[in-house]
Amino acid sequence: MRLLVPILIATLGLSAQVPRQSEVQERRLANGARLLLVERRGLSAFHVTLVFRGGRAEEPTAAAGATDLLARTLYGATWPEDLEHSKAQPGLEALLKQEEGLLESLRLERLRLRRDPSAASHLPSLEASLDSLQAQLRAHFSPSPLSDLYTARGGRQTAEATADALLVHTELPQEAFEFWCRTEAQRLRTLQLSRFSQTRALLAGDLRNQGGQGMALLCGAALPGHPYGRDLTDYLPSLEALRWSELRAFAHRSLRPDRLTMILIGSISLETALPLVERHLGSLPVPPDAEEAVLPEIPADLGDRRVQASLGSEPRLLTGWRIPSRRHPDHLALRMAAQLLSGGQASRLNTRLIRQKGLVRQADLIMDLPGGQFPGLLVADVRPADGHSLAEIEGALHSEILRLQQEPISQDEWLRALAQLEADHLRVMDESAVLARSLGMAWAEGGDWRLMELEIQRLRTLTPEGVQAAVRTWLKPSHRTTVLLEPTPGAIQDPLEVEMARVLTALAATRITDPAQREHLVSEGLRQLRMLSAEERRRTLKLLEAQLTLGKP
Amino acid sequence: MRALLLTTGIAALSLQAQPRVQTFTLPNGLQVLLLEDHEHPLVRVRLHLKMEATDTPAGHQGLPLLVMQMFAHSDVADLKVEEFNRLQEESGIQLSHTLKPDGLEWQLVARSRDQDRALGLLANRLLRTVFDPSMLEIQRLACWRQENRQADDPHTRLLQALAQNPDSKPTLTTLGAISWEDLLTFRAKVFRPDRAVLVLHGDLGLEQAKRLVLLSLGSWTVQAPPKPTDPPSARPSNQPLAAPAGPPRIIAPGAGIRIQAFAVQPSQLTPETRLLLRLLIDGNATLHPVRMAAHQGGLVATLDAEADASGSGAWSLLHERLEALCRRGFTSTDLEHARAVWQASRSLDSLHPEAQVDATLAEAMGRAVTMEGMKAVSLEKLNEGLRSWLAPANLRSGAAGEPAWLKTLPKP
Repeated sequence: MRLLVPILIATLGLSAQVPRQSEVQERRLANGARLLLVERRGLSAFHVTLVFRGGRAEEPTAAAGATDLLARTLYGATWPEDLEHSKAQPGLEALLKQEEGLLESLRLERLRLRRDPSAASHLPSLEASLDSLQAQLRAHFSPSPLSDLYTARGGRQTAEATADALLVHTELPQEAFEFWCRTEAQRLRTLQLSRFSQTRALLAGDLRNQGGQGMALLCGAALPGHPYGRDLTDYLPSLEALRWSELRAFAHRSLRPDRLTMILIGSISLETALPLVERHLGSLPVPPDAEEAVLPEIPADLGDRRVQASLGSEPRLLTGWRIPSRRHPDHLALRMAAQLLSGGQASRLNTRLIRQKGLVRQADLIMDLPGGQFPGLLVADVRPADGHSLAEIEGALHSEILRLQQEPISQDEWLRALAQLEADHLRVMDESAVLARSLGMAWAEGGDWRLMELEIQRLRTLTPEGVQAAVRTWLKPSHRTTVLLEPTPGAIQDPLEVEMARVLTALAATRITDPAQREHLVSEGLRQLRMLSAEERRRTLKLLEAQLTLGKP
Repeated sequence: MRALLLTTGIAALSLQAQPRVQTFTLPNGLQVLLLEDHEHPLVRVRLHLKMEATDTPAGHQGLPLLVMQMFAHSDVADLKVEEFNRLQEESGIQLSHTLKPDGLEWQLVARSRDQDRALGLLANRLLRTVFDPSMLEIQRLACWRQENRQADDPHTRLLQALAQNPDSKPTLTTLGAISWEDLLTFRAKVFRPDRAVLVLHGDLGLEQAKRLVLLSLGSWTVQAPPKPTDPPSARPSNQPLAAPAGPPRIIAPGAGIRIQAFAVQPSQLTPETRLLLRLLIDGNATLHPVRMAAHQGGLVATLDAEADASGSGAWSLLHERLEALCRRGFTSTDLEHARAVWQASRSLDSLHPEAQVDATLAEAMGRAVTMEGMKAVSLEKLNEGLRSWLAPANLRSGAAGEPAWLKTLPKP
């Protein structure tokens, strides 16, 4: 009850500052596409975000990576040759078909040679044909600098593939609005994908380079069998086998107008924008209904899971709890819980684990990993301070969760978390790009763009007891997956540890002949030495160095 | 040509929609610029402290970073650092700092109703921070870690290695050489109102801004370096790792083969030439299969080679492509086109309050791109700039790939 008065005061102060829903005007086009318009006077440019619902989670296994490929090959750059009808340039279409055939022949030939290295190779001739064909293809591309149509008009475009959507962000000067409508409609009609092969090679290269990642490991272990748990690096062979025509077919199915919401922010009235949007994007055909992807449901109570791995260059603890989707009534309470735990320097994890106990160097909480349309994860990403083990920080993290479940939340703390979330919301409203993305993700994840504003209103009705109840329901051991990452010996960066590894390896070499046993001894030694403080480690290093010197002839 | 003129004309008109800059200077010399914008109840503040090369003594690389690190972890007047953070966060105020090549910056975002508290906190942080000598060693190590933390993926590691100037990179030796006196001297030299520029953006008027700045930062005066009391002299005992000799070679088993060259931005180029060249080179398709991209402090040329390509062949191909671009240069049509693109792109700033603050600050610092400066760039100057930027002596090149493949690269 004592909490009620300050909360009411905070609420009253806030109501004057929270933007009204009436700022967003919504229209549905005849083909099912939605337009959300936020009119902002005084802007001399406009921002528009296209959100295609679906994303990585709705990719069939055979087309894993297709959303990422579309983000890179269909969007991000706007080449003139990609906007011309195939009828206007039949040569390009035919070359792309030929390229597809040659790429597939090359892939099959490489597979054949891998199985039978002694077989006669057709690789050189196939590669030469591909080189010559790609040179012909490049002849269709404009060689002049600034040939990107949006860049040439002072604009820019970026695209991102997420678990729940494909998002395309464009910014252009105000007067280019009709040009944008025409270009985007043409892009979706043509689906030329003329730089498909380069983009696929770049994406495959990036995935290979990034290697195993802790978060992917956590998602795979916590959400088994669900597309949210899929690691794209595991699907490299199918990505490399994905053809140009298959990606086009995927784009036809997934980039449908009835799965599209456009969020437009600028000094443009609905009367001006709507006719242009209707004329160009409203005339996009709607393909016959496709079957909606049916995704498996994963029970939150899968049991406490643990994974231990050697990965990266520093020790790290990742703990993920399976939480409900963004539409669930408990979702907002969990967001508040995350704010109390790690939102800002004065939050619980920062105060207790970093400053008071000195156990942790860095602690972050991430909501809705990898997405929020389906049940996902609330993840604590914690890195230990010098001299502390992963087991110690794991215990400390669990204590903080229990404390949140059991001990009353102070009024100061509650109001601080509330103020931060509300100030964050204001900053979202102030930045066109962030506002458009937030509205778009609310639609893609929650099914309704209004969710963004409803959440900020519902924040005011939350109570500390409600947050604690949600934490007790969702952040419990049976919902938990823990990934303990110890650094790979070759990737260590701490100079003291590098030196320690060198001395331990040299010492082990004098006593153990089996290389596997030697490696195990070194990594176990390093793991145990990490529990010591920096000063103790320095002293131990000196002792070990002395042993090494004594052992030398 | 008509299209270019039209774009230019419309862009010039549309720029008028952006907030007008109002300026004033406090008696202590602090220069203040205000961009009044009442669209949302928010206030953004940027405080830039100019830094000169002589502020960091030779062999003390990392001194500005260590000073910033000490600021972030020290108490403020009678407030413990925890209380300071709590005060800031209970109003949802965001206060952060950045180290820029030419100075130190603080960024602040607050609801307009909290502007007094926000400016007060910034002033306290700047003027009343009490460095704690016992924090020096911890922060020294934290700085070293921050500067030497490497990405896990080899391609990012390669770019990190190339983009960092080896002469300005803090090492354990240079950080260890920084004494308590050095910290205090640097603070006294740089933290002066006559070296500072303050930009305010958002929901506040000129009179309100004057009152606010005078109240919070009006008492800021030039200080003589205080005499140190009981300076700690402990240094990290672990020895620095030897700097890698020659161009970086990143061992990347399983990852693709990559050759990269980083072209450091030449200091003698005008901001206009730099911007035009960036526009013309970034994503330039004529360099195929080499890809060019703009990066902070320079341009990056990347070549992803096939697994069976020879290292020396790929290395030569990348450098040949850059040389060919220098020989070819740009045409007057390219120059006109790039000018028109810049002109049109200025309107995009109206979408981003932070970009408006950036532009205002650049103008106050005399490094803004101006219409006059743009007109002054001739084709000769542009191509001269291109040749100096991509000159072989200005390139830092390296590679990532399988160890066996790296051996096929030409010896440095």
